[in-house]
Formats: sequence, structure tokens, C-alpha cells
Amino acid sequence: MTESTLFTIAFVAYVLALLVYFAALFARRDRWAGGGLVLAVIGFLFHTAALVLRTVASGHAPFTNMFESLSFLSWAIVLALVVFGRSARVSRLGPYLMLIVVALVALASSPLMPKEATPLVPALQSYWLWLHVSVTMLGEAFFAVAFVASLLFIAAPAVDFLRRYLPWLRIRAVNVEEKKARLDALAYRAVAVGFPLFTLGGLIFGMVWAYRAWGSYWSWDPKEVWSLITWFVFALYLHTRIVMGWKGKRSALVAIIGFLAALFTYFGVNYLLAGLHSYA
Amino acid sequence: MRSVWKFLSSIKLAIVLIILLTVASVIGTLIPQGRSAAEYTSRYGVLAGLFTALRLTALYRSVWFLVLLLLFAANTIVCTVTRFGPKWRRAFRPVPDFDPKSVCSMRSSCRFRLPLDLEAARGKVERELRGHRYAVNRSTGEGKALLQARKRRLGWFGSDMVHLGLLVILAGGLTSGLASRKSPLALAGGQSAPVPQTSFTLRLDTFETEYYPGGEIKDWKSTVTIVDGGAPVKTGTIEVNRPLKYRGVTFYQQGYGLDWDLARCVLELKKPGDPAFSRAVSLRVGERAPVDDPDVTLIAIRRFVPDFILGEGNQVQSRSEDPNNPAALVEAWKGEERVFSGWVFAKFPEFGQGHGTGAAAGRNAPKVAVVLKEYTPSPYSVLEAARDPGATLIWIGCALISVGFFLAFYWPPREIRIVLEASPERVDLAAGGQASKSRESFQAEFDKIFESIRRPE
Repeated sequence: MTESTLFTIAFVAYVLALLVYFAALFARRDRWAGGGLVLAVIGFLFHTAALVLRTVASGHAPFTNMFESLSFLSWAIVLALVVFGRSARVSRLGPYLMLIVVALVALASSPLMPKEATPLVPALQSYWLWLHVSVTMLGEAFFAVAFVASLLFIAAPAVDFLRRYLPWLRIRAVNVEEKKARLDALAYRAVAVGFPLFTLGGLIFGMVWAYRAWGSYWSWDPKEVWSLITWFVFALYLHTRIVMGWKGKRSALVAIIGFLAALFTYFGVNYLLAGLHSYA
Repeated sequence: MRSVWKFLSSIKLAIVLIILLTVASVIGTLIPQGRSAAEYTSRYGVLAGLFTALRLTALYRSVWFLVLLLLFAANTIVCTVTRFGPKWRRAFRPVPDFDPKSVCSMRSSCRFRLPLDLEAARGKVERELRGHRYAVNRSTGEGKALLQARKRRLGWFGSDMVHLGLLVILAGGLTSGLASRKSPLALAGGQSAPVPQTSFTLRLDTFETEYYPGGEIKDWKSTVTIVDGGAPVKTGTIEVNRPLKYRGVTFYQQGYGLDWDLARCVLELKKPGDPAFSRAVSLRVGERAPVDDPDVTLIAIRRFVPDFILGEGNQVQSRSEDPNNPAALVEAWKGEERVFSGWVFAKFPEFGQGHGTGAAAGRNAPKVAVVLKEYTPSPYSVLEAARDPGATLIWIGCALISVGFFLAFYWPPREIRIVLEASPERVDLAAGGQASKSRESFQAEFDKIFESIRRPE
């Protein structure tokens, strides 16, 4: 099978996983959600094979242009889902995380996105490419988990309102406070994984590599500054939470801003601000 | 003084500073940094003056940004120091007193009786705790023993280590800002240049550009020799991502350039009187090449410009670096006699008639004509010599932050307190414990420890 076939199969599996997840949600069949996870795992395996084939064919890490990095980021989010999905408390995030994954894969598959692997420019020929990008994106994947949990936290009262006044939606009755506490703890756990990974991959490995390739570990390049901004936001998240005792809504808002900053670091800087990181 | 300390020890100040630094950083990415005044005027109009006055155009090097960073550093130091003492006591000093009631109000707890005497019970409990790598403090009183067991105590200091790492990185950044030196070195093969602020020179032996099959640049390889005190001391190949180090100076491959001043040209010699005659000579600007012909014995290129134009006072200039109108200043000799001297143009071969001097100038038709057939700029290597004493601090800071994160998130301290009270024939045991994170796995360990203590030997 060619890489693009594998990628397409993965895409289809992710879409099916998304459908099954939402069907489980609306039909109130918990067991179906397991099917969603199984489909996501199947997609993940095909996606992994596609990434491996691409690496073998191009001879370099599969994240050196927009298509590749979108594909890898969505792969990392599914990985985060699978890793966290083993604990039952997280499986409820599945539908929303899959929504992000499908959106990213769809964006990667858009005809506007050049898909062919291009030879590496001299600056990218380094094993630090693997370390820097993969660890950063894993960190961002966990930020995505925190983002989804925080959004659900903020939406929880509204969902409860809908349940009460629009009974035909058949939303399950849950203890809202319990649900919120669970989501809050989950967001924190995701940040506790994502923040160290992002710091290590994005900032530390980035500095080491920049020093080797360009001779300066920090150049105030827009991508670097936006990574720092993302880092500041999650530092705020931890300090307001641990030292000032913020929890719940305010914490959730900070986590949401943090993920949006990470997203801007990833997309916005490339398209809106010019700098050293012009390749990806 | 006390109020300054209090101000700096506030976590609210830290929050405000992080927000201010974030906002400043965002502004610095929205306004392009370090451009020309003209560009700012065309971009922002009347606001350009305001932006420049507020140093928003060189924000990350402005005094106010530096003041924010220093305030942030001071705040981090004071916050970390004020919280350090209590944490240290919590991790390493024994708690003076506790009783069964307070112990049982801890997150994990249990109570049972052991059919042993106090000494034997205490020995058993301590053995079991040490087996799970707990450090045990004990204090004994009249008919009772208090045991305080702790492990992974470094976990309490993860955040301090991250803060320390951050401060070391700030110090490194400051050191780099004040003391780092960078000098570009552009060298063609065979050329040498002194490395600024050192005693040695760098000689480029060979320079090579590698291409992918599709024609994209794959790599630049500069083989260099460092000459110190007149003798070659180190030879190595520099590539992008593979710098070379010598005595605190690191040499980086930055890129390459094309030098038209040292272009290699192919000249074609012709004789207007002999249409069949043609002789091609390949040589570089500045070189002389012998020619095997009775009418021309030597030829040389004095100068090359890629885009010939006559400037003010009929000075030859190059309008651009693009080969729009390549021209070479060529001279040719027959023995001692100069038979050709003049500019030849690749695009206008009929101009290449030139004019001789001496005897040849006397005649109307020159004996030799020259045509500029081919021209390629010679590539040169763009290297950078950098000395950055701040870098070491940066790596130390990064290591501290990495270890600190691990300790803060994945090395949660655990504490167990046990009260043993002797009554006739038995000991009453009350135990409580807590972990700052991963409480399920702590509960499992807690249960395991006390099951094992409970079990008769």
C-alpha cells in the first residue's frame, strides 16, 4: 500500500470513530464509545504506517512541511487520547478530541496543501529535528486534551441547562459538580504532561538546536517568542492554580488561552508573521 | 527595605509580571523588530515616532523590557527563598508531636492492634517502611512511639529547581547580551582571515556545495585550517549543524555567496584576418594564462562586472549582482607587446575588438579579437566565528529546569505517620499518610505496607 492510501484509510477510520463516538453520545450507549476508541486505534495504526513509509521514502523526519506537521500533530493527539483513554474518566473526551483530529487531518488533506516530500534544507539536517518537533508536538497534543476538558468544563452548566429544558435532546443526567471536578482534574493532569514536554521539546531542544545550527540559542524570532508566550500562559495556569488556589472556570479559561497560544505558535506565526522558522 | 521585600515576595506580582512580559512579547512579534526608520514611517505613519520613542521597534533590547525581566528575576528569587525554609523543614525536620486522632484524619489511614510489645512492633514497622525506601524519624515517649516516614523528599523542591534554572538562564542571557561576539567570515577557497579578537586565523582550504538530484542545495562543506602562532593547529570540516570549536570560538557554516569579482571566464580568441582561427582559454579574474600562438602569447582578465554600466565620470560600475550585461576587462600580449586591451561583452561580441598599444595600435585593424563566452561567479563560504560565554549557563539552566519539572510533576513526596501505643500484651497502631500526587498508587502502597505489618510473622 502506498503512503497516501494508508493515510486515506486512517482518515476514514478517524471519521468513523468520530461518528461512532457521537452516536454513542446521543444514543446514550456507553458501550459504543468503546467502538469509537477501537476505530481511533485502527486509524492510528494505519496513520503510523503512513508516517513510517513516508520517513523511509523521504529519508527524513515526517514533519518538515505543513502537510507533514499537521499529519504528525493529529497523530500525536490520537496518541494522547489512546494513552489517556485507558482510564475510563477520559473516554468522554474522545468525541471532541476526534473532532480536532478529523479537522486537522482534513486540513492536511485539502488540495491546497502541497503533499510531496521536499528535500531538507541544510539547517534541518539534524537529529534535533526529530527531538525538537516530535516532543513539542506531543506536548501540544496534551494541551489539546487540556483544552477540550476545559471547554467541556465551561460548557457543563449550559449542557445541564439544555438537558433540563430541551428533554428531547436526551442528554444524560449527571451530577454537574462531580463532572466539573473530574474535568478540572483531567485538564490539570494533561497540562502536567504537556507542559514539561513542551518546555523540553519546544524551548530547550529548540535552543540547543538553534545553537548548533545558527550559533545563537535565542534570536527573538516570532516563533520562538510565541513558544515563550505559550510557556508563560501555562506557567500562569500552574501558579494561579497551585499558589493562588484558582480552580474551575478561571483555570479552564487560562488553559484554553494556552492552547490557543500554542495553536497560534504553530499556524499563525507561519502565515501571519515572518521569521527564521519559515519552513514549518 | 521590609516593604520592598514584601512587595517582591508577592505571588500577585509574579502573575502581573508574567502577564506584562507576555503582552510585551506579543507586541514585539506584531511590530517587526529592528527595521529602518523609513519602513516604520511607511507602515505606521504618525505612530512610527511613538513606537520608536517607546522602543517598541527594538523591544527585546529596550531598557523597560530589561527592567521587567530583572524585576521578574528578583520576584522569583524572593518568592523561592521565602518559601524554601518551611519546605525544607517539612522535608527534613521531624514533626515534634502528633496523636492518633490527627494521624487518622490524613487522607489514607488505618488503625489496628499488634500482639507484640512496643519494641518489637516498632522494629517491624520500621523494617517494613525502610523496605519501601522510606526515611524514618522516630521519637519515643512513655509507653508510646511516634514514627514519621517520608520518601521522595526532593519532590518538594522541583519548583525551586525550575525557578533556579530560570534564573540561571536569565543570567546566561544577560551574559550573552553583554559578552557574546559574532563575526562573519566570508572566504573563498585558499583565502585566510584573522578571527577578530583572537590570536589565530582561519584558512578555508576547500569549499563545496552539494546538491540534491533535483538541484536544491543539500549542504555546504568548508574544510578549514586554524592557524595559531604561524602553525596550523586544527583542521576540520564545517557544515550546517556541524560547527567546529577551537579555544572557546565556534565556527558555523552560515551559507554561501557568489563572488563576481573572482569569476571564472572562458574567452575565445579570434583573428579578424583568419576566420578559421579560434582558441578558447579558461581563466579567473586576476589570472594570466599562456596562449600557444605566434600572435598572442599571454592573456589576462583584469576585472569582471556582471551588469556593466558607465557611471559618473565614465567609471565602470555594476548595476546589480545579476548577470544582465556581463563584461570582462581583458588584456593580451605578444611577448612584451600588448596586442589587446579593452572590455569585452558577452551580449555584444562585436564590441570585443579592443585596441592594441605600441605597434599594433598604429594599424587600423587589430590582429586579435576576444569574445566572452562563459562566465561563472566563484562561490565563497560564509562562516561565522562566535564566542558566547553565556551559553554554558543556558545549558545548566535547561538541565535544572528539566530535572525540576520531573521532580515537581513525577516525584511526588509521600509521608506516613504512625503512632504506637503500648497496652498490656499488645500495641495499638494508628497510621495516616498522604501524597501530593498520584494518590491511587500511594493508597495501594499504604495498604500493602500495613497488610504486611498486620500479618503475623
